[in-house]
Amino acid sequence: MDDAAQGNLYPIRTANIGSVCIISAASSAVVQFGDRGETNARLRALALQRKEDHTTAGDVFFESYTVFYRDMPKLIDPDYDSGQVLALERSNRSPHINVGCIHIIAAGSSSSILAGNGMNLTADSRIKHIRQYPRPRPLPPIVSC
Amino acid sequence: MVYFKVVNHVLSVGHIEILGVSSASMLQIGDTDNVSLYSMFDTPPESVIVGPMAPFPQPGSASEMTGESLVETEVGDTTFEEING
Repeated sequence: MDDAAQGNLYPIRTANIGSVCIISAASSAVVQFGDRGETNARLRALALQRKEDHTTAGDVFFESYTVFYRDMPKLIDPDYDSGQVLALERSNRSPHINVGCIHIIAAGSSSSILAGNGMNLTADSRIKHIRQYPRPRPLPPIVSC
Repeated sequence: MVYFKVVNHVLSVGHIEILGVSSASMLQIGDTDNVSLYSMFDTPPESVIVGPMAPFPQPGSASEMTGESLVETEVGDTTFEEING
């Protein structure tokens, strides 16, 4: 059915922004003005606290920790997959989304700032915080004379 | 079967102020179909402090602040001194 026939006069809305001020967009942050189809943002981080210097203490590996390869939780619902659960109908009565001024201090790792339309966005962040300190030496056994 | 009908009328926002958009999160001005945001964080148990928090000292311009209900010179100073002995 045609969008106009359903009462949806503006099938695509446009974002109007007066001004944007971003101080920092670091570590794979995305700032986009315009439309986007699909986003897949991933972040893997090992926050490591060590006694020794990183240059001498060797590497750490993501593969050693299950949190980095654990599967995403899945929705198992055959009805939902066949489209029998929800029927969504949207209609826009205004062709624009208006925002006066956006002030952002920081956008961090794998984050997304988007002024425009998107279709699918999936972002996944996995952070493991570990410490590597040598174990204290065991005390010598008590020997009775 | 759920029939979900959304009518978007005029959307106008004056000002957006954001301190931080953190890891794998999003800010969008516009329409979207699907959004999935996952976050897994693993930290040693002793990193999570359970118990009373030691308060920070007063910021330098605390006396000039307006609308900050917790900035009271007497209360803040007393607590800070107690914690530090």
